[in-house]
Amino acid sequence: MNWKPDIKGLIEPFTALKYLFKRPATITYPDVKRETPAGYRGFHVNDQVKCIGCGICEDICMNVAIDMVTPEEIKNPKNTSGLIPRVDYGRCCWCSLCTDVCPTKSLKLTPEYVLVTEDPNDFLYTVPEPKGDIQ
Amino acid sequence: MYKSNQLVKIFHGPQHPGITGNMSVELDLDAETIVNATTHVGYLHRGFEKLVERRTIPQAFTIVCRICVPAPAPNEANFARGIENLAGIEIPEKASWIRTMVLEMQRITAQFLWMAGQGGSLGLYVNPQWAVADRDFMLDLFEELTGGRVYHMYIYPGGVRRDLPDGFLDKLSALLDYYETRLPEYDRVFFNNAVFKKRAIGAGIVDPSTALKYGITGPVLRAAGYQKDVRKYAPYEKYSELEFDIPTATESDVYARAMVRREELVQSFRILRQIIQRMPKTGDYQVKLKNHHQFKIPTGETWVRTESARGEFAYYMASDGSEYLRRMQVKGPSMVHAMSLLETVLKGAQLADVAMIMNSLGTCPPEIER
Repeated sequence: MNWKPDIKGLIEPFTALKYLFKRPATITYPDVKRETPAGYRGFHVNDQVKCIGCGICEDICMNVAIDMVTPEEIKNPKNTSGLIPRVDYGRCCWCSLCTDVCPTKSLKLTPEYVLVTEDPNDFLYTVPEPKGDIQ
Repeated sequence: MYKSNQLVKIFHGPQHPGITGNMSVELDLDAETIVNATTHVGYLHRGFEKLVERRTIPQAFTIVCRICVPAPAPNEANFARGIENLAGIEIPEKASWIRTMVLEMQRITAQFLWMAGQGGSLGLYVNPQWAVADRDFMLDLFEELTGGRVYHMYIYPGGVRRDLPDGFLDKLSALLDYYETRLPEYDRVFFNNAVFKKRAIGAGIVDPSTALKYGITGPVLRAAGYQKDVRKYAPYEKYSELEFDIPTATESDVYARAMVRREELVQSFRILRQIIQRMPKTGDYQVKLKNHHQFKIPTGETWVRTESARGEFAYYMASDGSEYLRRMQVKGPSMVHAMSLLETVLKGAQLADVAMIMNSLGTCPPEIER
């Protein structure tokens, strides 16, 4: 084994100390929140004016995260089944296949992704109406 | 070195900070020296291969990325290319370029994750902090491109799921500029670090004469002197049109593998620069598939390979004319690296080097227990 001291290799790692005088790369969440890109796959929204209750989203979901439930009010007269999707976020993997196959594009994913709750039933999420334009 | 002649059995993992996932290594120790090592897996079995057989093609595609956490994109690419081979689908030019770009971006994130683990296994904790932070900048770009940070579910049979966002290539170019300025800092803190050199040189030597017999792939094979890379000898997507070198070493120890990976990082920057230059401005990015119940694949079988940052991912896929795959078999690098090779390499090594050697071999349990 070579016992000749590697002076350069011993001293150079200490150059990392210069970062003590630089701003941190991290942010102080939740006081500062990072901006989520427009196309992020977060929680669902469903425009019930467009939704026809076809259930294709339920059919393609391989995690059985979507089931069709009766809403308080049917907003689309073409919704012949009278049902809208409900997502179980305990099962959803945010693959976005449901939004890909949605024939009316009423179902979309939003950049919202934070859910804090003490009630496990809150993971059963009746998909709300969108607020503003969603890409 | 002290030898007690009395063996002590300890389990390294599955609850151990130095383990590279949910697996364990049973070690027979004579003082600090490992006399015998046995790999135990089974903590992570999710049955990926069987799950795929019970799902239609679009449904199955969301599972394959989960076979490897550090590098999901090579799995997605393999699955997509396999289905395209079986169904006879030609993907658009732009989709192929985007796939190549995603695969290289993925290699960079995987190299940073390896760098973090390798530094952590040696107690050089500046390196993990830096590498994970720098990997996150690439994950930000993945998030913008695909909508997901780690599991992108982006490379889809027939192309990719989304087009490039506006200004994406400029952001990627700026990030590569940043990475190139960071690499000399990593050299000073990690690659040229005297502690790393002292620990890594001569440790975890893989015998080059048995490398091919074991079926070793990736940086482990290249550090043993074999210039083998799927991107060169069986090019897929746009790799045949790109210029890049395959770095090799001959020492076949932990340090040689680290330097091969470092040079591969440089080559990934080089490849991505070329892709940014040559990315088509317009064109389709996917071929629309039929409804998932009507998308039936003709009877046939195929074998596809992709080079990930840790080695070769190969998929065998067979179809029987239905909307389901009859069989899909995954062969990842860890099956060899973490089982037969690790057990051999650990014999005679020191207990403190186990985590370093495991990380250096690029072990990842999910692909063993697929």
